[in-house]
Order: sequence, then structure tokens, then C-alpha cells
Amino acid sequence: MEPQGGGPKAPERRAVLGWLIRGFLSLWALGAAAVGAAFLKAPEEEKRPSEGLVRCGSFSALAVGEARLVRHGSDPLFVVRVSDTQVLALPAVCTHLRCILKYDLQTQTFLCPCHNGAFDRNGNVLSGPPTRPLAPYRAEIRADEVVVHT
Amino acid sequence: MIPAAILLAAALAALAAKPVTQCTLCHPDVRVQFDRSRHRAEEVTCTACHGGDAEAIKVEAAHSGSFLGIPTRRDIPHLCSSCHSDVERMRGYNLPTDQYALYQTSRHGQLLAKGDEKVAVCTDCHGPHEILPPDDPRSSVYIRNIPKTCGRCHSDRARMSPYGLKDDPTADFAAGVHGKMLLEKGNLSAPDCTRCHGAHGATPPGVGDVDKICGQCHTTTRAYFLEGPHKEAMDRAGLPECASCHDHHKILPAEIGMLDTVCLKCHEKGSAQAKLSVEMKTLYSRASEEIDSARALVDRAAAIPLYVEDYRADLEQARTTLLESLPVTHSLDLPRVEDLTSQARTIAQRVQSELNGKLEGRKWRQVGLLVFWFYLLLTVVILLQFRRRALAEAARR
Amino acid sequence: MAPDPNAREQSLRGWLEERFNLTEMFSLLTSFGLFPAELDARRPLREAVDEALSRPFPSYARWPRVLGILSMLLFVFLGLTGVMLAFYYQPTVSEGYASVTTIVRDVTFGSFVHQVHGWGARLLVLILMVRVWRFYFQGMYKGPREALWVVSTFLFLAAAGADFTGRLLPWDERGYWATIRGLEILAALPVVGPLFGFLVGGTNVDSLILIRFYFLHAAILPALILVLFYLNFSAVRRVGLSASPGESRAAAGVFKVHLYNMLILASLVFGFLVTLAIVLPSPFVRAADPFVTPPGVRPPWYLLAWYGFLESFPSLVPRWVRGLLLEAILAFCILLPFIDRSPGRAASERRRAILLGAVVLALWILFTWMGYRMEAAR
Repeated sequence: MEPQGGGPKAPERRAVLGWLIRGFLSLWALGAAAVGAAFLKAPEEEKRPSEGLVRCGSFSALAVGEARLVRHGSDPLFVVRVSDTQVLALPAVCTHLRCILKYDLQTQTFLCPCHNGAFDRNGNVLSGPPTRPLAPYRAEIRADEVVVHT
Repeated sequence: MIPAAILLAAALAALAAKPVTQCTLCHPDVRVQFDRSRHRAEEVTCTACHGGDAEAIKVEAAHSGSFLGIPTRRDIPHLCSSCHSDVERMRGYNLPTDQYALYQTSRHGQLLAKGDEKVAVCTDCHGPHEILPPDDPRSSVYIRNIPKTCGRCHSDRARMSPYGLKDDPTADFAAGVHGKMLLEKGNLSAPDCTRCHGAHGATPPGVGDVDKICGQCHTTTRAYFLEGPHKEAMDRAGLPECASCHDHHKILPAEIGMLDTVCLKCHEKGSAQAKLSVEMKTLYSRASEEIDSARALVDRAAAIPLYVEDYRADLEQARTTLLESLPVTHSLDLPRVEDLTSQARTIAQRVQSELNGKLEGRKWRQVGLLVFWFYLLLTVVILLQFRRRALAEAARR
Repeated sequence: MAPDPNAREQSLRGWLEERFNLTEMFSLLTSFGLFPAELDARRPLREAVDEALSRPFPSYARWPRVLGILSMLLFVFLGLTGVMLAFYYQPTVSEGYASVTTIVRDVTFGSFVHQVHGWGARLLVLILMVRVWRFYFQGMYKGPREALWVVSTFLFLAAAGADFTGRLLPWDERGYWATIRGLEILAALPVVGPLFGFLVGGTNVDSLILIRFYFLHAAILPALILVLFYLNFSAVRRVGLSASPGESRAAAGVFKVHLYNMLILASLVFGFLVTLAIVLPSPFVRAADPFVTPPGVRPPWYLLAWYGFLESFPSLVPRWVRGLLLEAILAFCILLPFIDRSPGRAASERRRAILLGAVVLALWILFTWMGYRMEAAR
């Protein structure tokens, strides 16, 4: 592929040019490989659509009676450890006007900062304007991780 | 044979549907109403209130003895209380027994004691015969029917003006949020007339009475209000606390625009107080607009699509924080309002800047395309060179 | 073999040469059109390639004669992007849309690969159709190119089938309802319709049909298209690249020149695809809802003419008659070389055929427009 002719310096120059061109053209292969590799790398956990399962962190990191707020798009949820072996999961959205609830550790109830709605750990309305209880999700513990079926 | 059989069947049917009393032979219209009532179900019959002989068929016999006839309006509360204030009697039904005592303290009861028979007595609200418990939706004292029941008198301007009552509270109530919640949306936790005014002890609320009741549901708002300077000032001026700004019956949806108009009812425009309200409104509106534009941006990004679930969660957080600031305005505590609104605003701004960054980043694709074409054309030029050489080679052969 | 003078010949290639017939393996490329002539499998690879590269090659190997190679190139790009997409796509009703969303939204370059695949498909079907029209108008179905004509027609149909089956896979609104329309058209064809219905698993668009469509799209139809391409290029190798009557048959270059032409073409096609993918991406559509028909549901563009044709008859004509007419037209197209009675390839000798072709093309455009307008009117 190298052309003939040229002066005494020409063959080296031609050789260098040849290698430059080879390098340049091989960038196509490199580019394709890079694109392919980036494509094949699976996206992170949170970005994959949850097939109805939400991973809610470690079970043993929760004290008995403690609740953890888990972000899940516009429907965050609470996981509450009720005993040594059991966990409950409830939506963290007040059924009155959809404010995000806060968990009160002392009374072990969910309080709504907007109109003082209160729910117990099972989602029943204790007081305040909410009329509907919180509908619990099914939660289970897999290898010390709390997994909730939304 | 057949007519006899029919007669026999009719007689048996008549026996089977034996009325509780024979009174209804002459008063069949009353029977229809009475049969629906709770009294009928509990076998409290005609004679319990009217006296007389329930088994007699002839008028003279029936109307004899303890017969009272139609009780006078003046006597009705006492008559009803003869059972309903009897603790022993009412214990089995678990019914309260303080209605008569309450009634006597109420405006209705006070005026009745003075001889005004136009005021409401028990039968005006509960009905004389068709008495149903308050949790029965057909009852005239079912929570959703109470505004209409009270309105029978209280919406009648001609009837009420001798007492100095010129409004139409039922219409006002129905136009307000409580009325819409209760009557249109069927939200049974919304208040009816009796919730604020009391049922049997209904008295026009004195200053400071009803406002305490507002706080039973609107706890946060009332707590903040009690912290602020308005409470003392209004008590001194003899002004109602909540109703001064929110009206008593026609309570319109509380939205931030009220801060522009309602404060001027007492405060001079341009005064320090009016300026405070403008300040609070500005803080809230700015945050609210920021959240709205962030939400629009999130929707636009989701349509591309970009991953926006975390941003939606953040905006929910911002919305909640902003909503929290509304009760705080009642305390007139500007720094606190500012704290909450600026928190909400900061979140919305962060979401917008991050998303804008991502959308800007996508513009680099156009640049990438140009770089790609540059590279491609260079490659084509090189290939053309090779082609030319091959052509020359072939020509030489 | 002569002893190697240059010790460097004991390279990897030499090592492999002693164990495989590299030339035979490399000649796969000739089968699929990159080399228009066979490689001599008895020679070592380098020699055979050098020999092939220096063969004389007619200079008229220019547009529009590259349509065959072009479609093969597009097919290769589609295959590559398709394999990449298949690493993420899940062919179920519940996960189909979600997996495509993952590709388009979360995977690096996912949207790019997806768009290249989509545009490549559209271009492939279009080019194969244009190729068939070109063959017709230039009389390239007359002997000895009858087989080439039949293969090319089936290539177009197979590519259209792959496009059609691929549309359903994302389980999005447009794809779902376009599939339903397309199946309606197929169902109108007597005999062929029920046969296809049997093949795809009925007329209900559900999980059963989705998995069959997926396998058709990803395995069966690509294999079929590959076989058809092989037959196509095999026929071209046998009958030679056609010259238009009157063109000089004198060689004007060697094959090496043509090879560079091909490489340049490949680069430009790739560049074109990438540009389309970035500048004109198809918008992201909602998930399919079987209970809500969105407005403007149309069958794919290549079926619009059939759609317009089927629907434009007065209602007196029963549907199966219309379908039968359509089948007759299709059969006529496929069997054209054996029906056409004109004496030669020159335009002057095929006036009637060319006139008929022009009329049919005009009608096709008309029916496509009518089919398009039908949904707009509703």
C-alpha cells in the first residue's frame, strides 16, 4: 500500500505516514469497542425499573420499633421493624392530602406535619383529618435485606 | 269456596301484620312514618308519648285515660326527656342523657322558657314520628342532612330577622369548603352545624368559643396562631380569632392570595403589618413558582426519556415543606416562614439546575456528531487516496 | 509449497494456514457480495486475495448498482445493533416496554443503538423496494436473471416481515396498534392469511404472538434474509453485473478499486445512519394499552398501499375478493419473468411493460396516500 519513489528520507517518512494512517483507521475499531463496552455495562440498580420489588436496606441495622424512610420515586415508603423477626412496610404518603409522613419514635406512630394526621404502625388512622388508613405493603427479609413488594 | 278462602287469607294477613297499636286504624299516615322510626323498632309506641288506650278500637275508648293528644310545643322537651334523661332507661341503649339539660342552656331552650314557641323543640329537628338515629343516612339529623334541617328555620330570613339574624348560614356554609366537603364530596369528617355550635346546647357562639373548636381539627394552625400577636390583640378588641379572616360560615379555600386582601381589613395599606403579609406572600409564591417550573422541567425530561424518579421524590419533599409553611404564617413569624419556603425553593432550584445540566449535556451530542463527521470525512479522504493509487497501479499494468 | 525465503512468513497467518483453509473461510465474504468473484480456495490466502484484487472490474459498477451491496451493509449494521439490543430486551408483555425503557433511558449509548437499529430498518426496506422497482424498469428480470428477480422480491418481503415483527417488540402504543392493523390486512388474504395467522399464533395480540414475533424477528427472518442474500449474490456472480444496453463492457479498473469504493460507501452509509439517529430520533412513545386505541393508528408505511387498496372497494365487493385480488397482484409480481413476453431488455422493446410499471407505481403511490388519509379522516 505504500507508494514508491521519493528521496532518501522519503521511505521513513512514508513509513511514519503509513503507521499514522493505520493508527488513525484503527481508531474506528477502538471507538466501536468502546461504544460496545459502554453499552454492555449494565446500568446501576436504582435505574433499572423495579419489577415491583424495592430494596430497603439492612434489616439488622434497624432497631426494634425503629422506622426507615425509603425513597421510591414519588411514593416513598417506611419500613418498620416491629419485632426481632418481623418488619412492616407502609406508604409514607398521608391519605389526607399526600404530605410525606414523619415517624415519631416515642409514640411509634406516623405523624403528618400538615394537619396533624396520625397513623399507628399498622396504618390505621389514630386522629386527624385522614379518612383512609395506610395500605401496608408486603415486606420480607432476604439475607438480612428488607425487600418490599410495591 | 274461593271467596271464603280469600277472606280467610286476608284476615290471616291482617293478623300477621298486626300493628303495634290500634291507633293506626284511624291514623294510617302516621303509621307509615312511625314504622320507619327507631322508636317503632324498640317498641316505644304511640301511648308512650300520647297516652290513651292502645288496644281500643273506638275513638272514645282510645282517647281516654292518660290521653294527652298532641303535646304543646312548650311541653315537648320535657316529654321527651321523661325517657331520654332517665339514666337507668337509656343505659341499655348506651344513649347520652344530657340533651335536656343542654337544651335548657341553649338559646332555643332559653327563649322557649320565656314563652317563645316559635323556636326549635325536639320534634322540629328529629321529627315527631319518623325519628331515626344520627348515623342513619335517612335521618334528618344525619350529618349531611343537618344543614338542611337547621336551614329550615335559619335560612328563612323573614323568620329569623326578628331575632336579629340576617344571614343565610346554610347557603353560606354550602358555598364554603366545609359545605363542599360535607355535602358534595361526602367527607364525613367535615364539620356540620352542630360540630361548631353544639347540637342540643346550641348557643350563638360568643367571641372565643367557636375558634377553640376550629383548633380541634386545625391543630397545627391554631398552635401557630396562639404563638403570634394576633390572639391577644383580637381578644382585646373583642374580635373573633379565626372568623375574622376566614369568615364563619362561608369559609373559602385558604390560598396564599388571601394575604393580599384579608390583612387590609384591619391594617392600613402600607403599614408595617400589611408589608409583613406582602413579604410572606412573596416568599411563598416564589417558592411555589420555583416548584412548578421544576415540575414542568421534570416532565419534559421524562418525555425524552431521562431518569427522573429521584427528582420527583425531591419535589414531593419540597411541596410538603412549602405546605408546612402555610400554618406557620398564622404565627406571623417571618424568619420561620422564610426558613421553610427557602428550603422548598432550594430543593426546587437544585432539581432544576441538575436537570438543566443533564439536558445541556445532551447538546454535546450535536458536537459529537460534528467530530464524528470530521473523522469520517478524513477516513473517506484516506480511502480515496488509496483508491487513486490502486487505480494508478492498475493503469500501469 | 516452496520453502519460505522470509522467516517472517512463519507468522500467525502461516500457522493457521497449515491448519485451516483460510481462503475458503475468507471466501464467505465473496458469498455475501463483498467480492463479486470466487476466491481460488486452493491457493494460500494472501495469494488468492492478491489475485482477486487485481482482477479486471468493469467501471460501470457505480450507482444505482450498489443497491444490493448497500442493503447487505445495512443488514450487517442491523444485525450488530440488533444483537446489542438483544442483550437487554425481554420479550414478554410485562417486561417488554420496561426493558426497552431501560435501553433507551439508562444504558450508555442505548438510545443511539436503538435509533440506528430503527433507521437502518426503514432504510433497508426502502432500498430493497427501490431495488425491485429498478430491476423492473430496467428489464432486469429477463433471462438469465429470472431467479435474481424472484430472490430480490422475496428479499423485500422478508425484510418487510422483519420490520413488521420488530415493531411489536417494544410493546409500545404505536407498535401494538400498527401490528393489529397489519394483521387485519394479512387476515384479508384468503389462504395466505389464515396460514400466516396459524404461523404467528392467532389474531389476538398477546404474549403468545409476542414471543413468536420475537423469534421470527431475531432468528428466523434474519436467517432467511441471509440465505436470500447468498442466493442473490450467487446469482449475480453467475450472470455478472448487468450493463445497460449500449454501455461499454471495457474494463476500467481492477477489483481493488471497487473494494475501496465499497469501503467508502460503507463509511458514508454508516455516517448517514448515525446522523439520522441523532438528528431525527423517533420519539419515545407510551406503553401499549389494549383498552385504549390512540388516534392515527396506521399500519407500517409499506403496507399502507395494501390497506388503501383493500378499503377503497365499494362494500358490495366482499373482503375475500379484495384479498384475492391483492394475492393475484403479488403472484404476478413474483412470477413476472415467466409472464412477460417482451423480446428484450431494451426500453424500446418493453414499452408496454414500462407503461404498465409506471401505472402500477402511480397507483401504488395513490393507494399509499389513500391508506394514510384513512386514519386521518377517522
